[in-house]
Amino acid sequence: MFDLSNRLLVAHKTIQTTDEITMRFFNLYSDIFITKGYNRILISDLGRNSSKLYPLELYELIAELKSTSIDRVLENYEPESKIIVQEYIDYLLEREYGFITKEDWDRNFSPLSYEYQDYQPISNLFIEVEKLTISETLIQSIANLGIKHLAVFCRSAASLQELISFDNAFENTPLEGMEITSAYTTELTKDSFALLQRQSQRIYHLQFYQCQEIPLLSNTESRFTLDFTKDTLAINSCGKVNVADFNTNMPKVLEAINHNSCLHKKLGIDVAGNIKNCPALPQSFGNIHEMTLEQVLRQGAIQQYWDMTKEEIMVCKDCEFRNVCTDCRAFTERSHTNKLGYDISKPLKCGYDPYSNEWSDWSLNPLKQQAIAYYGFKPLNGKK
Amino acid sequence: MILIISKNNEVTTTAVIKELIAMNKQFIRIHEDEVFDINTIKKRIVLTSHRNQFFLDEVSAVWYRRGAIEFNRMRYQNQSIDRYMFEVQHWLVEYVLKSLEGKKHINKQSNSHVNKLLVLEKAKEVGLDVPGYFLAEDMEDVIVNQTIVKPISGTPIIDDIKEQHNGIMYTSVIEQKSESDFFISFFQDKIEKDFEIRSFYLNKKIYSTAIISQNDEKTRIDHRRYNSEIPNRNVPYKLPAEVEHKIDLLMHSLDLNCGSLDFIKSADKFYFLEINAIGQFLGMSNACNYGLEREIAAYL
Repeated sequence: MFDLSNRLLVAHKTIQTTDEITMRFFNLYSDIFITKGYNRILISDLGRNSSKLYPLELYELIAELKSTSIDRVLENYEPESKIIVQEYIDYLLEREYGFITKEDWDRNFSPLSYEYQDYQPISNLFIEVEKLTISETLIQSIANLGIKHLAVFCRSAASLQELISFDNAFENTPLEGMEITSAYTTELTKDSFALLQRQSQRIYHLQFYQCQEIPLLSNTESRFTLDFTKDTLAINSCGKVNVADFNTNMPKVLEAINHNSCLHKKLGIDVAGNIKNCPALPQSFGNIHEMTLEQVLRQGAIQQYWDMTKEEIMVCKDCEFRNVCTDCRAFTERSHTNKLGYDISKPLKCGYDPYSNEWSDWSLNPLKQQAIAYYGFKPLNGKK
Repeated sequence: MILIISKNNEVTTTAVIKELIAMNKQFIRIHEDEVFDINTIKKRIVLTSHRNQFFLDEVSAVWYRRGAIEFNRMRYQNQSIDRYMFEVQHWLVEYVLKSLEGKKHINKQSNSHVNKLLVLEKAKEVGLDVPGYFLAEDMEDVIVNQTIVKPISGTPIIDDIKEQHNGIMYTSVIEQKSESDFFISFFQDKIEKDFEIRSFYLNKKIYSTAIISQNDEKTRIDHRRYNSEIPNRNVPYKLPAEVEHKIDLLMHSLDLNCGSLDFIKSADKFYFLEINAIGQFLGMSNACNYGLEREIAAYL
């Protein structure tokens, strides 16, 4: 592998002589998507669902190879750089990012459309509840909107019966999967989970907090995964930006290119019934006890952040990870707004600096302390 | 109202239906386990099964995906009457099927299962390049390592070949001559390929995908032998206009308005292999972001 620094030296351009030899051309596959950061690039292989970091100079080289033959490109470099260019080209071939043709590029390989299309008006709903129950009207709205994924944050401990009923309440709706985070009660034993396994259809992830003793480990044969933590969780535990959560897959990347990867087609309802884009956001667009989700969507205001791509967000717009990142609009550094007053600041819980390419603990960053205090997170050194 | 003739749990049908719902288009999906009665209500023909009922004249478009629409046939004690009524019912059923096929449609029940041998003859007639092929009951004319063998039938799958197992026949290169005779089989010249191309045809529009598997020995002969560690690369591709024109002629001559066509690109030639009118295409569609399920839903 290469180090991520730039090593290429461009030769002083001389009058180029056309050789009689057949020119070779490098064709980059259309599903190789390159995101240019301030110092580095991220090459995302959308066909193979993986991303890798490379030096910025590879970006320039790939750009050159799109408009010039390999042989001409090589002429532009000093002898020692030529070796590196050749090394890069070999590597691109080895990774199967592209292929070589003679005389011309293979122009029958057409570009990939970056359009993002999705039939559902809403993809995810995130609700915060005091007790694990759901109203008939809300179930009806979930069915009407064709919502496939539901995430639930329950502030009390859900019982086995509540978990089963909650799952079964979505019989004959398009809801395909749900994940539930709940406080833990010791009533939930190994046997309870075995029963839940048989009597539920949609739960694919369960997370329990305030659990002193783990009743069982998640096993791979189970339809749902299980997590237990001793900590007390709250809805503001969300929004962390981590490499582990970066995901290279075509729909997610296309969504990030065209829309806001945090909020597009998402709805949230907080514990008081306020309908929001995300339950952790302050702005409410109506209350579920007075309005339906469909009515709120028709007002057209809750969609305000849906099309805010990372190109608009401070710092993120220079970050090489921006098209595979999760973003977070609920907790930000609160440093910038655009003309319409929308928050275009970097996510607060991101510890990455695209200018230095270093990851650090976001919560210890002195520049973030004001925003951290604003959201009421535990301040630095535990002092108020 | 759109009529969809398909099978239970057929994923492409479900994907198209999601788009139809988003477009607010009414549809009825019928399955292989449904049998219809033909009746009349106030001079209108009505078709009824245990789970669906609709008037023939309210069907605006038909998508034949898979399976078939089946009808009940009355039997009669008197053999002469039974024979006669068999014919009466035959004409009635034919009228219903032809009426459905006369509506706006994507493919037809009556011709969606194509004969590979006839298709190859038609393909040659319209001027497509077709690798040399022959039928034989022995390997006398087979050149080892330069000839492939593949099934004559539409599906390569043999259901329940043994308990709990289905068999699948992949296209294979003949590496060793068999001495004995066998059932008449289809042999074809092996083409050294640059890559394969799968083209989806829908009403004169062609969406092609280059399937790059050359770097990987496992998938060299048949891309369905899928290697999940290093998957094939499937990227958008545009066939030359003259090849697209010939595809259009071929589809017309077969009276098909939808289907997948397989090609091999070898140097500057595009060799036509076969057509599958009812094959799966969503994998290619997703890889190339073609949104074909949406195109189908929009057409219906």
